[in-house]
Amino acid sequence: MSDGDAAVVGVGAYAPRFRLPASAVRDALGAFHARGVESVAVPDADEDSVTMAAEAGERALAAAGEQAADVDALFLASTTLPYEEETATARVARLLGLPETVRTAQFGGSTAAGGGALDAALDADGVALVVATDAPEGAPDDAFGQAAGAGAGALVVAPAEGRERAATVVERASYTATYPGTRFRERGSEEITGLGVTSYDRQAYRETVVGAVETLDGAAGVDAAALQAPNGDLPFRAARSLNVDADAVGAGTVAADVGDAGAASAFLGLAAAFDAAGHDVLLVPYGSGGTAHAFRLRADHHVPVRQTVAGDRELDFASAERRRGAFDSGVPEGGGAYVSVPSFRRTLPQRHRLVAGRCLSCGSFAFPPEGACPDCGAREGYEDVALSGTGTVEAVTTISQGGAPPEFVPQQARAGEYASAVVAFEAPDGGTVSAPVQVVLADDDAPEIGDSVVAVPRVLYDQEGVRRYGLKVQAAASRRS
Amino acid sequence: MREAHVIGAGQTAFGSFPDESYRSLFATAVDRAVASADGFDPGDIDEAVVGTLGVGGRQIGLSGPAVTEHAGVSVPTTRVENACAASGYAVRNAVQAVRSGMADVVLAGGYEVMTDLSGDAAKYWLGVSGETEWERLTGTTFAGTYAQMASAYVDEYDATVDDLSRAAVKNHANGAQNPHAHLSFECSLEDASGAGVVADPLTLYHCCPTSDGAAAVLVASEDVATEYDSARIAGVGAASDRVGLFERDTYTSIPASGDAADAAYEMAGFGPGDVDIAEVHDCFAIAELLAYEDLGFCDRGEAPALLRAGVTERDGRLPVNVSGGLKSKGHPIGATGAGQIVELWKHLTGNAGDRQVEGVDVGLAHNVGGSGGAAVVTILEGDQ
Repeated sequence: MSDGDAAVVGVGAYAPRFRLPASAVRDALGAFHARGVESVAVPDADEDSVTMAAEAGERALAAAGEQAADVDALFLASTTLPYEEETATARVARLLGLPETVRTAQFGGSTAAGGGALDAALDADGVALVVATDAPEGAPDDAFGQAAGAGAGALVVAPAEGRERAATVVERASYTATYPGTRFRERGSEEITGLGVTSYDRQAYRETVVGAVETLDGAAGVDAAALQAPNGDLPFRAARSLNVDADAVGAGTVAADVGDAGAASAFLGLAAAFDAAGHDVLLVPYGSGGTAHAFRLRADHHVPVRQTVAGDRELDFASAERRRGAFDSGVPEGGGAYVSVPSFRRTLPQRHRLVAGRCLSCGSFAFPPEGACPDCGAREGYEDVALSGTGTVEAVTTISQGGAPPEFVPQQARAGEYASAVVAFEAPDGGTVSAPVQVVLADDDAPEIGDSVVAVPRVLYDQEGVRRYGLKVQAAASRRS
Repeated sequence: MREAHVIGAGQTAFGSFPDESYRSLFATAVDRAVASADGFDPGDIDEAVVGTLGVGGRQIGLSGPAVTEHAGVSVPTTRVENACAASGYAVRNAVQAVRSGMADVVLAGGYEVMTDLSGDAAKYWLGVSGETEWERLTGTTFAGTYAQMASAYVDEYDATVDDLSRAAVKNHANGAQNPHAHLSFECSLEDASGAGVVADPLTLYHCCPTSDGAAAVLVASEDVATEYDSARIAGVGAASDRVGLFERDTYTSIPASGDAADAAYEMAGFGPGDVDIAEVHDCFAIAELLAYEDLGFCDRGEAPALLRAGVTERDGRLPVNVSGGLKSKGHPIGATGAGQIVELWKHLTGNAGDRQVEGVDVGLAHNVGGSGGAAVVTILEGDQ
């Protein structure tokens, strides 16, 4: 596929709802070192780069009007996937319901990873989903840790032909300059660090980003520039060398609100730019080391965007550190009830996609769809029925602090009380199927019987070093628009 | 078919006993059961059926012979596992053995040691009878599942948190009189409703404790029974259901309890109106309310009214849980069902001492496994 054919036909973006304001860090520690950052997004205790990727990916597909089953390729970019070895693309693909034949590749190594992923998508045939997701971590008292935010951006790349609402990638380029030490994370470490030589860091960013953009025909005339934003200051500094005005950079930068979103940074900026009706947008993912990719995207019409980025819950410093795991002592030792990984894997269609069954004998629904029909007792088997992600609470309780079963002790240590409910999920052709689900509370009260809830992908728990993902629900009333 | 009778019954106190083992507790219960049947020779026991969940994993395999051999009862022993209903089912198996003619005297009992676990280990073991693959992985617990039932009940009927508390207050008042009770103190309605929330709407006082203890019952054929203070097992019924709450049609009743009760009433030729005294499975306060309705003591939604009117108090028309119930007497999982039979046998044969409830002929025991995956109802009638 040549660049003229491939287009961005849908954009999705997601950031956690929690915000830690700079003022809260300043109050707690006396200083805040992340320039141009007013708040950072903090993932909930059961969110990670995989769940955020699923959130953004689902929104991008919905924006593009594409079915998960029709996706040919998934390109996933992140510096903070949960495993250093073992592909995360398989987890994201299953959470999104992509077909088994999907081509996948994972990009990492630096925050420029999303650029490589988009490059791959532009070179691929068919419909490609590019997802850049990140939740960088650093020391709570340095600029890296204080800037660290979270989020995910996703692009559906497909042939432009026949689509009005699409952004064509008219030009792309890469530039690599060698600047060791500006930002790095040693093997086995969770925290990014750097030498902290301000002028050297700025030079590395400026030379690489400007180099990539100048390899294009320049940036003149863009109405938004989504530049990598390690903080809320560097993109604006570089803009002066690019002949891009501050308004255009502002239109493509969300770092002031979400902080440093790592590999997702420029993609979140792109979503904001298109959402604000940008038609000529520069996208520049940059990674320390250093390398940058520059893409110029042009659209004749408004590019479809679905994003849930704005925060609506403010945390103080202690609560943010708690959610990040500062006081999490891990899973208790013990024995007893246990669901093995192979057993869990067998149920992924139910955990990830709410696949229930319609009894081949009597036609009533069963969840999970196995064994004797709960209604007629027949063992004829079931026809798969994917439930919608919306339902109504039938019975509910809040598990008080300290009352969680062992798998959920770490989550409770980080995020406090959660609710557990039986929910009647809506089946596609009418009727409902009851299933047990955890309710994400986000410091709200539990929903009441009769309230509407919506499914969200989350981490369930870690056991034997293996992370388990599944759907939880949140009250429709507390959902962000 | 020949009838089965309880000719003796005994239990340890329920509580926390760091100096005892599961074997020593069971041996004590056997000794007391044998002693309660004046002149009975333990060598006449033909068979044993014991219930235990095996909390702590102390002896998962061969847990039956492990206790009967220790107690000096060297007979074929079968271990029954149905979570909290284990020894209720053990008694039922004993009835089947006696009724079939394969045995003349069967030792039925149960045991559990729960209080020697670390807090971490307890978190693992307390959830093992919930539906593991789905329900537990929503982060719920037993308290959580019963709390979900309570939420649905309060939503559907005219019931309040105080109505739940009334069951706890009554059972603590009863348990305070029982030397075998684990939590033998009284509590007020304010104590119960105002206590810390475990799983909304259930407070700490709406939840039974975890306990150590053992109970044993001697089930014998009618020709043996004539020599002892005995109670006829007029009916026994049992039922199974889906293990997970979400898999059932109702969250405001425990269908297995109703099915087990129907079977027991039918075998006995009695109805709920014939019951003079009952021990019901009040692992959580809501469970006692559901039991009243599932067992036919009142109509659906009427359990709060029954409690408010004092009908089930010790001096009421139908005393329920005069032992203190699981709430106050305690809940050593495998011992609970047999312990209910011990309590009824005492009252029906005039062996309850200071706590004797007078004028009772028919007693009902109701024992539930998990949140209702298994239930067993046993109806006894005093022979004297």
